[in-house]
Amino acid sequence: MRVRVAPYVEFAKKAFAREATYRMEVLTEIGSLVLRVYILRSLWTALYAQNAAPINLPLHGMITYATVAMLMSLILEVDGTRLIREKVREGTIATDLMKPISVPLYFFSDGIGQTLLHAVLVVPSLFCALLLVRIDVPSPATIAAFALSFVIGYGVNFFLNFLMNSIAFWTLETFAAQLIVRWASDLLSGQIIPLTLFPGIFGRIVFGLPFAAIYSTPLLIYVGVIPSSQWALSIALQAVWLVAFAAIASVVWRAASNRVIVQGG
Amino acid sequence: MAKRRVLPIIECTKLRKIFRTPKRMPGPLGALRSLVSRAYEERAAVDAVSFRLEPGELVGYIGPNGAGKSTTIKMLTGILVPTSGEVRVAGIVPWRQRKENGRNIGVVFGQRSQLYWDLPLIESFELLRAIYGIGRDQYRRNLDEFIEILQLGDFLRTPVRQLSLGQRMRGDFAAALLHGPRVVYLDEPTIGLDVVAKESIREFIARINSERGTTVILTTHDLADVERLCRRIILIDRGTLIYDGDIERIKTEYGQFRTLIVRFSEHVARPALEGAELVNTEDSSARFRFNRNLQRADLLVRQASERYSVEDVSLEEPDLESIIRRIYVEGYQSSSAENGA
Repeated sequence: MRVRVAPYVEFAKKAFAREATYRMEVLTEIGSLVLRVYILRSLWTALYAQNAAPINLPLHGMITYATVAMLMSLILEVDGTRLIREKVREGTIATDLMKPISVPLYFFSDGIGQTLLHAVLVVPSLFCALLLVRIDVPSPATIAAFALSFVIGYGVNFFLNFLMNSIAFWTLETFAAQLIVRWASDLLSGQIIPLTLFPGIFGRIVFGLPFAAIYSTPLLIYVGVIPSSQWALSIALQAVWLVAFAAIASVVWRAASNRVIVQGG
Repeated sequence: MAKRRVLPIIECTKLRKIFRTPKRMPGPLGALRSLVSRAYEERAAVDAVSFRLEPGELVGYIGPNGAGKSTTIKMLTGILVPTSGEVRVAGIVPWRQRKENGRNIGVVFGQRSQLYWDLPLIESFELLRAIYGIGRDQYRRNLDEFIEILQLGDFLRTPVRQLSLGQRMRGDFAAALLHGPRVVYLDEPTIGLDVVAKESIREFIARINSERGTTVILTTHDLADVERLCRRIILIDRGTLIYDGDIERIKTEYGQFRTLIVRFSEHVARPALEGAELVNTEDSSARFRFNRNLQRADLLVRQASERYSVEDVSLEEPDLESIIRRIYVEGYQSSSAENGA
């Protein structure tokens, strides 16, 4: 069956417009980002003054890492599928199921719309951040590899959120599960601390976890810790996680919609 | 009723839905136990319900809370799979072809809106245009018509969250009908509305039904909606169908008793009429109850004016509400044959 694109483009547009209505929130977001960049710069500078630079990442590299991670979080912290949780709890998912649309595609395009609005915010945020810190700009090839890796990481993050929010189909409440995953991912994704700083065997394990595909891989490509010879391998590993998560998400969605259909929401 | 020649647009045959719910054990220990081991109990929300609707009918689907109304509607919209039995809407099995069915139906829930909460009303309509792939001309035509009848003009650009309940309901009606569905399900569409808003919604429903020939299933607790709009009602209680037919018929069968109110020009101590029973007297008027099958109203009026000095008379027909209340309590016993479906 042919999929009509028009509704999904429209969903994305509406989500974009909806996010933009909360102007105050948007401004606060940029403000808090600038503050966080400043704090991290001070923190890393102080830490580096105490120790010799760990693992071939000098201070300016570390500050670049932290700042780019902050900018990435503008996009990655958008929970594009929180609509699932809200709609399941309020029961409005029933009206969506009564429409001639693919409901998971609806959630996906709505998430894309929200993300795009926040992606637009990256530009002014970057300028604000540059007032406080200097960041390294790598070669165009590295930036391209970073961009590709970031897009895949976005996908992994999206499906992870999708799965978390789908828990609502069974429990209605997803707070506890989300808290745990959020906590694990903050620590293990490389958003705050580069995974190369983890010691010994633990340091090896974290690279094998899916969280590393979200922040760590693109960031380590950006700052040059992952050399160009290993780009292909690192990105391939991310892609494996993406495919695996997408597959799990589709199985979960089928079970979830069956549950709605059999139990009646 | 005329012989049925037209293909039914909605057809339910022995529709049944059984829900399996975990049994709750009493007390705090019971709550703990039900975390570990669960006993289930089965309950038929809808039990062997059969009915059919012809295109263009406007039917009231009535029952007390928990009777199985919503469950039936959910099966008709395709979001719930029946445990057994068959259901077809416009030739389609809804749950098998949910999306195709979605094109044929429109739904209004009085309790929840399908409009985009944060966006102006008009943007929800534009979104629906994309969802259903409504052609520009049809969209324009329908939208203009609805803006006029439902008087949406003043708040088209207002975010939905700022609308009053009445405005929101009108918006929801337009949203449900923009794509010109053949069947519309209305679930408590007038709940919480004031009398004026109620009347304008009822007028709109009647108009859509008569001008467009849209088939309407109306679920409501407000029997004034039903009396105003429907010729036929389907009564359901505890999952089973208890009556399907004309409102007038149920009224004649159950509402044999009419009330005659006589106002006298002077005080009458104990007024009496032959063939009628005195219910009460108040000031200078009296209420008499009589069986319409045994007694003609005009004869009673003549009798009253011969006996007393009468200033005014009026007649009260039995109202649907009291009839249906009685059926819920006593069950439906038809004197005539079963309604042939």
